[in-house]
Amino acid sequence: MRLFGDDAITSSIGNTLLYVLIGVALSTVLGIAFAVALQRPFRGRSAVVAILVLPWALPGVVEGIIWVSIWDGNTGLLNSVLTSAHLIDHYQVFLGHNQLLTVFLTEIVQVWQITPLSTLLILAGLQNIPAEIYESASIDGAGPWGSFTRLTLPLVRPGITVAMVQAVIATLNVFDQPYVLNGAAATGSSVTMQTYFVTFQNLDFGEGYALSLLITIATLVISFIVLKLVYRPVEF
Amino acid sequence: MRRTHWGRWIGVAFILLWTLIPIYWTINTSLQTDAQVTSRPANYLPPTPTLQNYAALLTADTDTAQAMRASIMNIVIECLAATIVTVLLSTLAAYAFARMRFRGRQVLFYAVLATMAFPAYTTLIPIYKIMSWLGLVNTYTGIVLVYVSGFLPLATWILYNYMSSLPRSIEEAATVDGASRLKVLWHVVVPLARPGIVSTAIITFLFAWGQFLFPLVLSSDLSTEPLTVAIAALQGRHTVPFSLMSAAGVLAIAIPAVIALLLNRYIVSGLLAGSVK
Repeated sequence: MRLFGDDAITSSIGNTLLYVLIGVALSTVLGIAFAVALQRPFRGRSAVVAILVLPWALPGVVEGIIWVSIWDGNTGLLNSVLTSAHLIDHYQVFLGHNQLLTVFLTEIVQVWQITPLSTLLILAGLQNIPAEIYESASIDGAGPWGSFTRLTLPLVRPGITVAMVQAVIATLNVFDQPYVLNGAAATGSSVTMQTYFVTFQNLDFGEGYALSLLITIATLVISFIVLKLVYRPVEF
Repeated sequence: MRRTHWGRWIGVAFILLWTLIPIYWTINTSLQTDAQVTSRPANYLPPTPTLQNYAALLTADTDTAQAMRASIMNIVIECLAATIVTVLLSTLAAYAFARMRFRGRQVLFYAVLATMAFPAYTTLIPIYKIMSWLGLVNTYTGIVLVYVSGFLPLATWILYNYMSSLPRSIEEAATVDGASRLKVLWHVVVPLARPGIVSTAIITFLFAWGQFLFPLVLSSDLSTEPLTVAIAALQGRHTVPFSLMSAAGVLAIAIPAVIALLLNRYIVSGLLAGSVK
């Protein structure tokens, strides 16, 4: 019970839940949107897929460094663009002050990394849907939005489930991105980061074990809940 | 279906911008001087492109450059060794699980697969304890062993799926001709399974290249520290300018980016064989 009395750990648990919520929601929505955009063959599609996969293949640490130069308060791209567009008067510090904003911007970096796999998994599901189903739907008068919500989404639920489960595992264990974007600051710290600090800097292996057990159980429980809520068997 | 086209093109344009803007921004920053990087508004193109940051990281006679050079060597050695050992062992294991009948086969196979359901970091502390007990912290052997143990289940699963889909008839013909198991594997199965083996090798290599927390704990001194750990240490100093940090970032993404762009179809097929089902 020592775990829940420690402020740094309590706030890292809150942060981690936010990472999971934001990361799973965003990577799933983007994954579905990207997969639908790539569903039908067009000239150059394989090149677009090759580019899409790129962030999946890069080290998380380096992605943190890449995005630091976008979010940075003194020289960042975001500040430059927002100031030029007169959306803000002067440069702002985005990371490290507001907890929600810090977690959100940090999680965007992880979403950038995990969305390619979500897209591929959902795209593979989409390509199993026989074209005749869409033809008979459009004969029955379904528009693009109607056939998306009533045909595509239900038929691709298995793909979405696998994508969401991989996102749950990745986000619950987030380490590289907050480590690079925030360092040891509590505003964005995750449970995996706390595990690392507690174990390898304070050398408290017992508490480290307890934290990593917590993450393991949470991973299994949340993955199971996603499976129950989202998965439905599909037959064509 | 004409009316849906504009939606698709917006989607495709968004995919390209979302993926490429951050990478472009890093390359752009890496080609500027420290002073140019601080300009407001930012320079969207390098005003006077310079390679001085790359020179400062690669050829200079400073501690930073020495650490960079050593860590690039380390990451290449560790990734190649982990990939070779993983592919070798997973080919043998996948073949045994796909084609041979032996006591405990199913239990063993499910046990291997079940390890994939647990988050990798669960094993961080036990692995650290085992490695320090064996005296393998800060050794190539130690970190490569950890990578192999981590990647082997997925590699075996991808190759198992691939080999199970191959027709048995050719192997059976070879067995009738008197070839041994290993000969059949080497001369018949491996050539047929080559695309699956290539996928497994590429995915393993990219996973190994991206590792951070395990090497942060297990190989954190110059003798074995990979590029990812060296770069995070550089960034952690907070005095290193963005121009230099970005150049270090570009060095660390160059190899995986080229692999991902050129060998994309192997990655896609491997990832799908590894996760669907």
